[in-house]
Amino acid sequence: MPGHRTKRFCVTAAALALCAMPAGCGGSGESAGGGRIVLRYTWWGNPDRAERTEKAVALFEQRHPNVRVQTSFSGYDAYKQKLATQAAGGDAPDVMQLDYRQIDQYASGGVLLDLARQQSVLHTAGIDAGLLATGRVHGAQYAVPQGRGTETVAYDVQGWRRSGVPLPGRAWTWEQWADAMRALAQKTGKPGGTDPGQSEDAFEVWLRGRGKSLYTDDRKLGFTAADLTRWWTFTDRLRREGAVSPAEQTTQLDGSVENTPLGRGKATSDANWDAPASGFGALVKGGVALAPMPSGADGTPGQYFKPSMFLGTAAHTGHPAQAAQLVDFLVNDPDVARILGATRGIPVNEAVRREIGPLLTGFDKTIADYQSSLEGTLKDPPQAPPSGDNALQTTFQRDYDQVSYERMSPRKAAANYVTEAKAELRS
Amino acid sequence: MTTTGIHTPTARRSAATAQRRPRRERQGAAWVFLSPWVLGATVLTLLPMAVSLYLSFTDYDLFNPPHWVGLRNYVQMFTEDPRYWRSVLTTLTYVVVAVPLQLALALVVALALKGMKRGKGFYRSAFYAPSLLGASMSVALVWRAVFNDGGTVDHLLGTGGWADKPGWALLAVALLTVWQFGAPMVIFLAGLQQIPAELYEAASVDGAGKWRQFVSVTVPMLSPVLFFNLVLQTIQAFQVFTPAFAISAGKGGPADSTLVYTLYLYDRGFVASHMGYASAMAWVLLLAIGAVTAVLFRTSRTWVFYASEGER
Repeated sequence: MPGHRTKRFCVTAAALALCAMPAGCGGSGESAGGGRIVLRYTWWGNPDRAERTEKAVALFEQRHPNVRVQTSFSGYDAYKQKLATQAAGGDAPDVMQLDYRQIDQYASGGVLLDLARQQSVLHTAGIDAGLLATGRVHGAQYAVPQGRGTETVAYDVQGWRRSGVPLPGRAWTWEQWADAMRALAQKTGKPGGTDPGQSEDAFEVWLRGRGKSLYTDDRKLGFTAADLTRWWTFTDRLRREGAVSPAEQTTQLDGSVENTPLGRGKATSDANWDAPASGFGALVKGGVALAPMPSGADGTPGQYFKPSMFLGTAAHTGHPAQAAQLVDFLVNDPDVARILGATRGIPVNEAVRREIGPLLTGFDKTIADYQSSLEGTLKDPPQAPPSGDNALQTTFQRDYDQVSYERMSPRKAAANYVTEAKAELRS
Repeated sequence: MTTTGIHTPTARRSAATAQRRPRRERQGAAWVFLSPWVLGATVLTLLPMAVSLYLSFTDYDLFNPPHWVGLRNYVQMFTEDPRYWRSVLTTLTYVVVAVPLQLALALVVALALKGMKRGKGFYRSAFYAPSLLGASMSVALVWRAVFNDGGTVDHLLGTGGWADKPGWALLAVALLTVWQFGAPMVIFLAGLQQIPAELYEAASVDGAGKWRQFVSVTVPMLSPVLFFNLVLQTIQAFQVFTPAFAISAGKGGPADSTLVYTLYLYDRGFVASHMGYASAMAWVLLLAIGAVTAVLFRTSRTWVFYASEGER
């Protein structure tokens, strides 16, 4: 069919044009000289994770002498773009680390292989069923969660204690949290915490605490403009009172703990994911402790155990069995767990988790203890967010900027967001 | 073909052989030598442009095959996307602020350097250096640190961080561009040195002061160079990206105040995965830059003075 060919050609040409860097378009996982199979495995992370990953991969190669694994990694944003271009060009790596927000798009774009077909080599029995389900799209297991994370209110223990405000307990509601923020601001002269209005993640926790969700099961918006107006009115009022960070501070948030008000010493607490919160250790002299996220007025928990990252294999890989073997090895092997530690979040396999639990030290242990304190109290995670969500996270921040800089009312900004979200989810 | 200026016997002989060869053969040789460029231009420029034009009429998320939607991207852009217009307005504001400021500074420094007897080379390099460094992300990041809440400017002026105030952030971006005035400055300097000294002598004999000399001699004589710089810097300013990206961490903030056109284009294409929409935006930008350049050329007839015109 000539028409189809032209289209395919155009897509390839566009992908080539977008690649810009030749390195982005390397060869695919074909057999190399010596009869060894070559697998490409890409992931995002930092040098510490790189060192441990290389060790784990070396162990895999030792056990499978016929397989060689080429790894490459970069920071999250760069990784996301590079992977998207590779996938668009039909050149996705054999094994790739994926984020919750990428799965739907990649699965429906035909980039990923259904791992359920590799049951003989990839075992998923040791993984919590609710967590495993997060890698499922349209009934197929496109990805396997590798680590587990959850949100937390990280706080400066010394600063909080010195203020005389009672330390957070094992549970609190959003109203109790707000009162604590106000009291902290009054006692310390600086905001109690980061303005959570800009964070789609925090909004999700608040929303789930009210029995709703970001998205419905049929991938539509799960809340109304009225819900979002209520949330933004709540956070905007706290900001005006000085209980949470001012707009100038909030707008500098970029995902790194260094740029949070807590990291800069301009607030006493910050709502964040538990794994990155380890970065506060170096920034906050008095030490950091973790408290659970606030719940709904009736105690309904909003936070959930979220897969911190997934592993998936390419639909067009030449070696599906070996790729699945590598995934299985990375997720289930106790020896790997000892090497990787908690660098990718707390392991999802229960046996592995028990195995490395006693070996964890420092903040890894703080996170593990925090997570086990929540065990059994949280609700199941939602299914992977629909494709459009990737862009909506940024839109959420931008629209809240308009509120915190007092250029728009919460009602107007919420209406804008809902309009754009609906358009994004349709396309 | 002319052989003037080549006097070695070998050169003359080969030139003669070339003349005897049929025209077509010589063309063949030309194509062989041109082929790397032609190949590069086709594969890396023309083809992607054609694909981008095609994509601008489609819905393309990088994963699923492009889906033809006709003019929908363009319609959506012009009628349904307030953020698009926000980015247009931001870019126009930026161009109108940054270009004149940059050219004025470049001219002032060029004039100062022209009159210098010693150390001209040093200062010329010193002022040009920011232009070389300026394109890099690192400088933009330093710039952000300078204008941050708690940064140097904040300390000196107590303004509470320009980069984080919607009313000031774009000015911080513009200042970064203005600071990179080296390239137009060097061109101005070359232009100034072309102006015959007799003109100034004649003017001063006629009793013209410094200011009068500047307005009646320097500006008209320099107008072609001024025009050249204006066109070049305007085209560049429309495509500003790096400083806005760095100052706002890629988000165009605070409150969309640094959401310049190319940054929004990037956002649509690479963050939101709407490659079709981003392509459409790119084509509108191309046409807009073409139109603005055409207008500049049209108005230039009234104010650009070419020395050769006087001899006609």
